[in-house]
Amino acid sequence: MRPEMREYNYDWMMGSLLNVAAKVPHGTPKETELTYRYIPYFKSGLSALINVGPPGIQFLSLVAKYYENILTAREQGKKIAATTFCNTPAILYAMDIVPATFEILTAIGCLVWKRGMFDYMDYCCEVGMPETSCSSQRGALGAALAELSEKIDFVICDTPGVCDTNANAFAFASVYMDKPFYQLNYPSTIGDGRSQKYHIDDYKEMIRFIEEHSGKKLDYDRLKEVLREIDKQDAMIADMEDMLMLRPTPIPPIFNVMLYAARFCFSGHPEYTKLLEVMVDTARKRAAAGIPGLSAGKEKLRAFMCYIDHYTVDMNFYNFFEERGIAHTGSILTRNFRDNNKYVETLPGNTYGVDTSSPDAMLDSIAQMNARLPMVRSIRGPYDRNGMWLEESLACAKLYQADCVIYNGTPGCRNTWGMVKPFARDMEKQGFPTHIMYDDAFDDRVEAWDATRERLDEFFHVRGLL
Amino acid sequence: MNIFYDAATKVQSQSIIDWKAAGKPVVGYTCSYTPAEIFYAADILPVRLRGIETEGMEVGDTYFGPFICSFPKCILQLAGKGKFDFLDGAIITPGCDGMRRLDECWRKAGEDFQGIVPGYFYYFDVPHKAENHGMAWYIDEIRLLIKSIEDHFKVNVTDKKLTAAIKEFNKGRRLLKELEDLRSGDDVVVSGTEAFAATVAGTVMPRDEYTAELKKWISSLKKKKKSLSEDKKRLMVVGSVSDEIDLFQLIENTGKAIVVAENLCFGIRYEGNEVKEDGDPVEALAQHYLGSSVCPRMYGKYKERVNTLKERIDYSKVDGVVMQNIRFCDLHGAENALFARDLDKIGIPSLRVEREYGPHIDAGRMKLRINAFLEQISGKQQMKKTAERKAAVSA
Repeated sequence: MRPEMREYNYDWMMGSLLNVAAKVPHGTPKETELTYRYIPYFKSGLSALINVGPPGIQFLSLVAKYYENILTAREQGKKIAATTFCNTPAILYAMDIVPATFEILTAIGCLVWKRGMFDYMDYCCEVGMPETSCSSQRGALGAALAELSEKIDFVICDTPGVCDTNANAFAFASVYMDKPFYQLNYPSTIGDGRSQKYHIDDYKEMIRFIEEHSGKKLDYDRLKEVLREIDKQDAMIADMEDMLMLRPTPIPPIFNVMLYAARFCFSGHPEYTKLLEVMVDTARKRAAAGIPGLSAGKEKLRAFMCYIDHYTVDMNFYNFFEERGIAHTGSILTRNFRDNNKYVETLPGNTYGVDTSSPDAMLDSIAQMNARLPMVRSIRGPYDRNGMWLEESLACAKLYQADCVIYNGTPGCRNTWGMVKPFARDMEKQGFPTHIMYDDAFDDRVEAWDATRERLDEFFHVRGLL
Repeated sequence: MNIFYDAATKVQSQSIIDWKAAGKPVVGYTCSYTPAEIFYAADILPVRLRGIETEGMEVGDTYFGPFICSFPKCILQLAGKGKFDFLDGAIITPGCDGMRRLDECWRKAGEDFQGIVPGYFYYFDVPHKAENHGMAWYIDEIRLLIKSIEDHFKVNVTDKKLTAAIKEFNKGRRLLKELEDLRSGDDVVVSGTEAFAATVAGTVMPRDEYTAELKKWISSLKKKKKSLSEDKKRLMVVGSVSDEIDLFQLIENTGKAIVVAENLCFGIRYEGNEVKEDGDPVEALAQHYLGSSVCPRMYGKYKERVNTLKERIDYSKVDGVVMQNIRFCDLHGAENALFARDLDKIGIPSLRVEREYGPHIDAGRMKLRINAFLEQISGKQQMKKTAERKAAVSA
């Protein structure tokens, strides 16, 4: 790592930056314009958030809050748990522990800085991780391994059986930093009695682990509050999902990343509820007034991202969708599989409910919810099995009236690169033009954004979509 | 030894041809978590699937994406080329993400290449933890596998047959332990290449034949006097899955090294660790195959793994460790880095190499690096001796 990178604590640096970014919309228009001059590589991203109005502004404040929580955890006597996006932070909030979700932290750095998280990603390789490991963990993890972030107290992940490279990054982190480690793992099936039992048994073990390493017993009254918050949040997510089905949708492309990034940061926390309230309010008003989500006003195409979005500098992916008039109908990360969602009607056994009537019911609710978070739900088994990736993608593509399907991931996504070609072929057979992006969602050095954009344009052109 | 070499270097060895000629079924499996005893009990030949003899990658690359390790790709390539046509069944296990996707890729390739998917095709869901519910899941999986085999092949796998199978396999395990004892001596009478070939052969040969041949061979080795280890560096090979005899040959053909130990998926990982012969045979198999596994795909078992490695280094008097990982095998790639760090602390030199599985396209590079590593070990040993001499003089 370059010596100058070691001069600053990464969390402090990024936290300070986001704290300032969250204040920008509260200045005068002239002050905001002047600020943009000093952030040429974050100008489009920041202005995109500010221009979508209260939801974007609220989102900036939420992300700043996430960092503030990490930076102030010690002085508040709270432990920090390193975890992954598909392991709900709700249980950590219920136990008064601060989550540090590596993929979210990496994505933020990638979106905000021209150089992205390159130095930190590379540091992981300096200390021994293969460069073929997933970039989504390597960014924030690099800062942690270099001792440039707030100290992690323990590590939890839930990806063995679903994503090796994710689980491996967390296992490596625990050994390298000598921190306690717990892995939840998932069987290849979902919805059957055996896997339901496995989910709950494993989740209970994880709670025991957290109790042991945090010194705090799980308070069921607190868990009830968190689950009730989730209940409210899920209802609003379902509203957003419904409005995403409208043609044209009133949901701007950037709302997608806000919807799921905030869920991964603050599920079960009032911060997320506040954001959802303004998002739903804005989207409803747009829908009532017939205003499309796309700022250009015309929805030329509807794309469904069957895996993840692209997170490199300046939110250029979302801006590209805006420029081309493409409505973003969500990704695997957008979906939550709560039993009140429309798309789950064709996927019986794949949903969760929230029941706060007893401690056991609460534990079962949160364990089954966790097992249905993005990726761990549908990438666990063979993709063409009941309820798995193909069925989920087809259900979503049909329901959201997608004109095409786009796969994007990282070279580290061995779980999907292992079968995305036959998967794409099956999607095509069902009538969905499907494009495989060969870039890295977090690292423009793998394929420059210019090249990625050109390949997307070529796909839209060749397939007669735009 | 020739019979082992034949079995270890051919996809369809003479033993398999003979077995098929007797009209008996053969089932391939992809991972060391599959209890081969079950097949023995059903009078089915279990054959660990391998990617040797691959001569191209057009089939593998068509279905797998570009960022996937070459081991499952080689297996798919062979399947697509009809090299596994002798299989009556195949068991796919989620050993890692690349290997578990062999399930879909093979089935989907079967839509384009008629007849390449065996009539019996089964997904054996091995959990990633051995404690409590993980073990219970795995025991259920074994029982489901047995039921499925019984239904498809019209056989009856009784507890009595399973116990007999366990006893037969344990004989082999005890013999392999004897082989390891021979390799750990000061004067080693067997090359690493031969020992590895014998181990790999155990994963593809009929077990009775294998045990008998192994017994004979080890008896002959015990009579050998000529040391093969004199003036040679004693190396250990660890890392990604490898059944490649030529990798061992490459190391030993330098004339400066002998491989005295390995910790590989195909190697002798659990020799001496016998399966319990009393009680419920399914539970005994589960305790052995899952309970004693410290493969990196189990996550969070690093301390056990590094301790096993250290014990082995000590037992086999290893001078240096070759840590290889197949490109895109992050599990072993990352673990090798941790191993290198921790072995360095106790003065054990190691070499980390990333490579491709299959045809040794990078044999020249590997040879160069192995030779450089051997020079490095010599240099370190020389420096240690000089330091000890100086300390003795000053004392």
